[in-house]
Amino acid sequence: MPREADVVRALVEMADTLVEDYDVVDLLTGLTDRCVSLLGVSAAGVMLASPAGGLGLVASSSEAMRLLELFELQAEEGPCLDAFHTGERVEQENLQAGSGRWPLFAATAVEAGFQSALALPLRLREVTLGALNLLSASHDQIEEADVIVARAFADLAALSILQHRASTESQRLNEQLSAALTSRIVIEQAKGVISERVGIGMAEAFSRMRNYARFNNLRLTDVARGAVEGTLDPNTWTPPSRL
Amino acid sequence: MPGTRLRRILAELSDGDGAWPAARLCEVCPRIAGVNGAGVMLMSGDVPRGSLCTSDDVSHLIEDLQYTLGEGPCVDAYLQDTVVSEPDLADSDAPRWFAFTPPALQAGVRAVFGFPLRVGTVRLGALNLYRNQPGPLGADQHADALVLADLTARWVLETQAGAPDGVVAKDLEIGADFHFAVHNAAGIVSVQEDISVTEALIRLRAFAYSQDRLVGDVAQDIITRRLRLG
Repeated sequence: MPREADVVRALVEMADTLVEDYDVVDLLTGLTDRCVSLLGVSAAGVMLASPAGGLGLVASSSEAMRLLELFELQAEEGPCLDAFHTGERVEQENLQAGSGRWPLFAATAVEAGFQSALALPLRLREVTLGALNLLSASHDQIEEADVIVARAFADLAALSILQHRASTESQRLNEQLSAALTSRIVIEQAKGVISERVGIGMAEAFSRMRNYARFNNLRLTDVARGAVEGTLDPNTWTPPSRL
Repeated sequence: MPGTRLRRILAELSDGDGAWPAARLCEVCPRIAGVNGAGVMLMSGDVPRGSLCTSDDVSHLIEDLQYTLGEGPCVDAYLQDTVVSEPDLADSDAPRWFAFTPPALQAGVRAVFGFPLRVGTVRLGALNLYRNQPGPLGADQHADALVLADLTARWVLETQAGAPDGVVAKDLEIGADFHFAVHNAAGIVSVQEDISVTEALIRLRAFAYSQDRLVGDVAQDIITRRLRLG
């Protein structure tokens, strides 16, 4: 089997794309292209679940495949959906219009020139992220060795997507922490500004700032920023003298 | 056996109920890594923001010096995103940190190490370790410190994940020193000198450096109006 070197090269190339800031769509489009060039299939496509849970089309090896997968999503039946919902491999099935497990999907697929279909989940342990659809223009059984290779591609893709998501989440949390600290710091600076302008202590400065924010229905951080940047009237902090 | 080190360190950190607040982290760190003291410094925008915890007065001073001077092992570990090791602060005619080294030596610090806190590509700050005897960390201590830095970084993000937007998580604030007094003082100086708070912070730091003092101590004098810059 001379293909072995090609498969290894494809895995290495996919791993190479997993650098910082890689694009998930690029990765998955490369995955579908490799499925077609290395495995005995005619077309490949990947669907991914959104955070809300719905599946969406992400990559296709051809326009015909893209349209077929869009139809699969509309019709709410097909191998990709089954693989995603069960988290299990969907065995190759010969397609006959109007019959089988997916009568609507089969009709459209046959019309597009496909004869058989199988699907694999994109899964890491219990988490199913989406599914890989493989379509063939013949009834010939896809070799088990090819399915194993597709499985390896799908696993690598699933792993990289999860890592990408975790990294995005870490970035978000770090930015949130940094922004929260900055808000606190601006409030402390504003206390100093008001304290000096009015000649009061830090605690009193804070309480005037908080009362002003409440009374005017403003966020404390925005009031503090206004005090620090001098965009709020300095007299704001001196309450009207009681006669 | 892989994972043994991680399990041992987790067991030491765990307080019985699985929780380990920052204070416990800095308390346990020195024993695990075989050093005299530890501190956890948060950084962002390339400057120190403050300490999550310090194990003793000396490690607190090490963090304060870096906050005042903007240089030192944590700052380098964060900026260069690599482990920083200075096994003997006294062993150089041209110290790596001109301003940081003399007061650190004076406080009895002989060796300092900075381990970057990061999760994936996200950088949070640095874990700071010191010893009052010169010498490098042993291979085992070094490996332990790497695990501790990794656990600390993850712990910071996981803890912050529980906080509402715009708020620093309570567990991160307990035992932390974000130098709020320095920012109070910067606000005061900005009014007194009619300059921006950013400039006021620079003036505060420069004044502290020129007087061989910590910026936090200078800030206290400004707040109590014992001192006026300019």
